[in-house]
Amino acid sequence: MARKRRRADWHAGELNLTAMIDLAFQLLSFFIITAHPSDVISQLNVFRPSPEQVRKDSDLPDQMIKIQLLVDGAAINDRPVNTKALGSLLQTLAKDDKKQTVLIICEGESQHGRLIEVLDLCAKVGLTNLSVLSAAVGGH
Amino acid sequence: MRKKPEEYLTGNLCAMIDVVFQLIIFFVCTTQLQDQSKDETIRLALAPHGVVVDKKDPLEITVDVNIKGVISIGRTPLSPDLLTRILKKAVKDSRQPVPVVIRGDFDTRHKSVKDVMDACAKAQIWKIKFAALREKA
Repeated sequence: MARKRRRADWHAGELNLTAMIDLAFQLLSFFIITAHPSDVISQLNVFRPSPEQVRKDSDLPDQMIKIQLLVDGAAINDRPVNTKALGSLLQTLAKDDKKQTVLIICEGESQHGRLIEVLDLCAKVGLTNLSVLSAAVGGH
Repeated sequence: MRKKPEEYLTGNLCAMIDVVFQLIIFFVCTTQLQDQSKDETIRLALAPHGVVVDKKDPLEITVDVNIKGVISIGRTPLSPDLLTRILKKAVKDSRQPVPVVIRGDFDTRHKSVKDVMDACAKAQIWKIKFAALREKA
């Protein structure tokens, strides 16, 4: 009788997986709740001229595009423009020479986002020689 | 023949457990934990034509500038002088130009970004990158 009971109770290779499945579901719930789609980040390279370079290159390059970012707008080569016109002007200028220097002068109170927009426009038309300067504030 | 009570409750769960483990592996592989050091309040401007970052340079220093003009690295606020000292030390330790990425909010005033750029200049770092969004998730 005891031998029969032992055979009835013994099952080959049985393992209680209940706890493991519970843990698996908990892990899954954690990752589902904490997962979020990440944004694709891009980077825009600029060059900030060093004081030595400014002294060395005392003469400005012949072909240079000067973009001024003002608080309430923008200007290219001292000509006021809006973003759309700026894009088409840069495209026209880039057709001549993509390696020409682009000098972006930002006013202190201008938005950083507008600087990114201008840098993006330059990247779009293939202008890679970009320098960013800050406009003098209060005369210093 | 009458079924035993426990037979009504059992079913073949093998396929479901396989799917559960595959889902766990998927989420473990795609979870990004390192981005938690960045300031999530900063809304980056859109730049669809920027260079996509594939591989992060281990020497790269990311400087955050939020909408209030507060400069921080890894969520630790810094003054411009402290930032200058940190950058100088980084350049001295690495003995080569250190890439600096500036993450500025769209509405951040340029004068705050200028402070970071001036700190980079004082540390002899002339090449700067601005972080932007290529695609919104």
